[in-house]
Amino acid sequence: MSTRGRPRGLRLRHVCSSTGQQRRLLNHFISKVPEPTEPSPPSTSSRFTLAVKDNIATTTTTTPSHPTTCASPFLSTYHSPFEATIVTQLRARGARLVGKTNLDEFGMGSHSTHSAAGAVSQPRTPSSPPQPDQNQTRHNNINEDDEYNDLSLLSAGGSSGGSAVAVLTGQADVALGTDTGGSVRLPAAYCGVVGYKPSYGMLSRFGVVPYANSLDTVGLLARRAATLQELMIGGRGGKDGERFQGLWREGDLRDPTCLSAAARARCAKGREGYDGVAERKDGDVLRGLKFGLPLEYNIEELDPGIRDAWAEAARTLQDRFGARVVPVSLPSTRHALAAYYVIAPAEASSNLAKYDGIRYGTRDTEVASDAAAGGVLYAASRGKGFGDEVKRRILLGSYTLSSEAMDNYFIKAQRVRRLVRRDFNRVFALDNPLHEPETFDLADLDESIALEDKWGPEEVDFLLCPTAPTLAPKLDDVMNQNSVDAYMNDVFTVPASLAGLPAISIPMPAASGKATNGGDGVATAGLQLIGQYWDDARLLAVADAVSRTFDSTTLAR
Amino acid sequence: MSRIPTTELSRYLLTGRLSRRGCLNARLPRIAALRQANRTSPSRAFGTRVEPATAVPSDATAAPTTAPLRKQLKEQAKVLKASGKRKKNKADNQTVPGWELTVGIEIHAQLNTARKLFSPAATSFNDKPNSHVALFDVAMPGSQPLFQPETLIPAVRAALALNCAIQPVSRFDRKHYFHWDQPAGYQITQYYHPFARDGRVVLYARDGIAPEDGDRVEIGIRQVQMEQDTAKTTAQPGGVHWLDFNRVGLPLIEIITLPQIRHPATAAAFVRKVQMLLASVDACVLGMEAGGLRADVNVSVRRTGGADGRELGTRTEIKNLSSFKAVEDAIIAERDRQIAVLEAGGVIEGETRGWSLGSTETRRLRGKEGEVDYRYMPDPDLGPVVIGDDLVAHLASSMGVLPDAEIDGLIEKYGLSAKDALSLMTLDDGARIQYFYNVLDALEARLGLGDENGGAIAPDQRHALLAANWCLHELGKLTEFPSDLGMTPEGECHVPSVALAAILSHLHRKDITAKVAKELLWGIFRGEIPADSVTQTIDAKNLWFNELSEAEYAQLADKVVEGEDKVVGEFLRFKQGKARAYPQGKLMFLVGKMMRAGTEQRMDPASAERVLRARLEDVHIPRLEAR
Repeated sequence: MSTRGRPRGLRLRHVCSSTGQQRRLLNHFISKVPEPTEPSPPSTSSRFTLAVKDNIATTTTTTPSHPTTCASPFLSTYHSPFEATIVTQLRARGARLVGKTNLDEFGMGSHSTHSAAGAVSQPRTPSSPPQPDQNQTRHNNINEDDEYNDLSLLSAGGSSGGSAVAVLTGQADVALGTDTGGSVRLPAAYCGVVGYKPSYGMLSRFGVVPYANSLDTVGLLARRAATLQELMIGGRGGKDGERFQGLWREGDLRDPTCLSAAARARCAKGREGYDGVAERKDGDVLRGLKFGLPLEYNIEELDPGIRDAWAEAARTLQDRFGARVVPVSLPSTRHALAAYYVIAPAEASSNLAKYDGIRYGTRDTEVASDAAAGGVLYAASRGKGFGDEVKRRILLGSYTLSSEAMDNYFIKAQRVRRLVRRDFNRVFALDNPLHEPETFDLADLDESIALEDKWGPEEVDFLLCPTAPTLAPKLDDVMNQNSVDAYMNDVFTVPASLAGLPAISIPMPAASGKATNGGDGVATAGLQLIGQYWDDARLLAVADAVSRTFDSTTLAR
Repeated sequence: MSRIPTTELSRYLLTGRLSRRGCLNARLPRIAALRQANRTSPSRAFGTRVEPATAVPSDATAAPTTAPLRKQLKEQAKVLKASGKRKKNKADNQTVPGWELTVGIEIHAQLNTARKLFSPAATSFNDKPNSHVALFDVAMPGSQPLFQPETLIPAVRAALALNCAIQPVSRFDRKHYFHWDQPAGYQITQYYHPFARDGRVVLYARDGIAPEDGDRVEIGIRQVQMEQDTAKTTAQPGGVHWLDFNRVGLPLIEIITLPQIRHPATAAAFVRKVQMLLASVDACVLGMEAGGLRADVNVSVRRTGGADGRELGTRTEIKNLSSFKAVEDAIIAERDRQIAVLEAGGVIEGETRGWSLGSTETRRLRGKEGEVDYRYMPDPDLGPVVIGDDLVAHLASSMGVLPDAEIDGLIEKYGLSAKDALSLMTLDDGARIQYFYNVLDALEARLGLGDENGGAIAPDQRHALLAANWCLHELGKLTEFPSDLGMTPEGECHVPSVALAAILSHLHRKDITAKVAKELLWGIFRGEIPADSVTQTIDAKNLWFNELSEAEYAQLADKVVEGEDKVVGEFLRFKQGKARAYPQGKLMFLVGKMMRAGTEQRMDPASAERVLRARLEDVHIPRLEAR
């Protein structure tokens, strides 16, 4: 099956972008909210611009209202009657919605190419990395309407590629994405922005069109970690210095997987940093922290440039900022990707059963089909309505849930998932508040772990690893990739998703001299930090501090 | 022990509201003070197959004919039709010689709750279509299920009534299949971890089980699970279907039995009994006829003691049976079809079949190849349901008396027949028995027979039997359909219980005749007599039973016997031992003459008979003898 080419099916109607043109562009918005025609009075209601991934339900008071398409032909005209909790929460904090961003259909993909609205690309070529500019003005001197040479375009990553590009171009200060197996962190790494996946259950998923409920989290993207830290933990809003409540406090009764207020308080009890953003020097934040380098992440396929950058980052943290960096072992990692690609498609095949052409999408009436006559009423409609990648995952999921395959795939994958979580609990110094503390007797440990024992069972505060094994690939190469190769990109992001842990990808300068995409300059890779469950506050603070060390080292060069 | 309606209980438990009606009006079944008589049911040999003579004509089995059974049955039906007789009686169709039937049943019952299983939308019946629909009910993208804990109350009560073990942890699975009445493409159900397991239901002869099952038979319940209902489809002309999503997501329980039912009538009795049990604990909204209960049956046959060992035959499933009669008829038809196929050397396919009311054959819906793999998957949005022992204990203690105990009480304490006791229990969805209790309370108050003995049973319970007969039979004569009585769940109807009690108190004391009592009942039913003025009406219209004196009766008797020497001779023959039986008919003939000769309003046939008999024996027979 070819993944090349745009999914046929209907073209989505775009609520006119500023030029009203739809040339071959970055294609990161599916619909845009028209800019206010006259400069609106500087009201407190608009503190920052927000782009929302198009699988998160939005309603709007302006006309025309924008649909929530999930980049699927099935939902091309679907206007949600309600708004996702996270959008309402951000509006209450002064967000102004600028548009709905492009994605892989229903969030299934790693390059934002499987979209009914066409592939997303980022406004960078291998030879022209953007300057990480602290004082970026909006629009960032990138003209989204410039035509780019198709062949030189880089993948924006996926599935929240549109959101990452919207942040990169400066059209949005904050963008919402969804992260099921890395869908926020991967595009953040490719596009050189910050992408954060909170602990599972911290942000409400109500209004997020599910891909795989047990893995889905709402994720946030911004240019700086500090922006996200302020939103999540609370801080001063805008010029008036008014403080607003951190998102971490707010549960949602409409999402049964969203932690209750009591559970939040309990989880936060053993954690630091939830009292608000403290003014601390980066050195203070990092000093004495213990970072673990998971040995299993040093895979053969890892781009040498990224491996060097990873090692360099570890060295910097240790030598210049007084942190400790130790190797750790997460032996279940090698099974995690396979487990993910069993669990996620299984849940997806269930979640997408509702798109049958009766309530959503267009029913295929050309093929005579009737359930009563022994035929299948929906087969033709579903065959036409979904893109290839979605169909692939539905088939995969339907198979792994079928009665003869269930035990060998779905049940086994759930066991692997438990092992992955155990691995994390073993290496983190903090306990996971969702589970009874386990004592890990060395005698019980797998032999492969025993090999690492010369370092002792080292317990760490955070894990430090690359977000993706390569730099952003060329869109052209991605189009020629087979789907299993594309799944490889998720190898570093999936474990944290399976365990429900908070993780963040921050831009890390990487020498791309030896990188596969050629060119000589400095490129940006993603450095991923993974924390213990509900250690989000510290994770964001540390991510902010670490990314500042890159600024200073870059400046030092 | 009182039965508190679930709605009230959940109101109290979950929102802390107390009933407006107050505890004085609580429904108080009177069986609590039941005498625990040592009822030893006469034990009949269980499992012996009494072969009804008409089940299959003897020539059909005796003759070494090769004609398949179905053909024989058809021909037999033809012969019967030609002879003008009806098809063979269902009661005689419980077994087929040489074959054993095995049936398992799945019953779906709508729980009596205020909200849907996974959304706060209200439950409703016959409301404006699509008026109670939450986002999740129609599977709006991004909506999520919200388990409504109060649905557990009727569910747990139902499981307790079925003698199940409540599971401390149960889980919800998604069962996938496509149908337009199911917006999400899957149904949320409990399959791997149901909330209740290992129950049993005991069926007695009075429940209408097949005579072959003896006096009692026990049917095991494998599990009881909670699940969502689907939308209601209404077919319109031109192949159009209308969907009402009010029903989608309503909480159901599915009761799955073990394959332990051997006879069609027992299967129907089981479903009826389950309905009664569910109604008695207020777990279920509507009865089977109203669509609140649906049954699927699994049917298989095997040769008795055959070489095929103890393994069951291939089973077929008949879906969506909506009446007790359909359950029995469908099983008989499917059993006969399977036997016919096997006798013709065929093989039974595991398939799903359908049954329409009044039909004589099941029809194939889909075969094994058309079976869907439901791809069960734990619902990732829903956590496990944890049911605490305290809840189970509370519900068990507040559940009240179960129907079997109540029926036993009615039979033993009041001397009702089993049939009448059962009718009283089941009529008007359980409201009739409540009415009976109301009448009985009022009647005992009027007769001064109160419960002052702390529940000790008064030796004479004839007044209760009288009340039961009137609540059942005389009330039943008033209307063509029981529903026209306007019976409320609290046990009141167009004939207020106090009014009936007033009539019965006079009748019991023989202050009025039965005929007058019946007229009064009609008057109250029609609204001609105010409920509180029964006695005044009798006064005003002078309907009091002013019975003849003994002397007047005797006078009348003598008058009637006069000139009937031939009749009196019959009595003499009996006395002399020439006739074997007492000439009761002759006696009643004379009583009839007496009634016609005297003033009927002032006469009681029983008194007339008594006096007449005495006069015959004391005066007239000796007189004739002396001749």
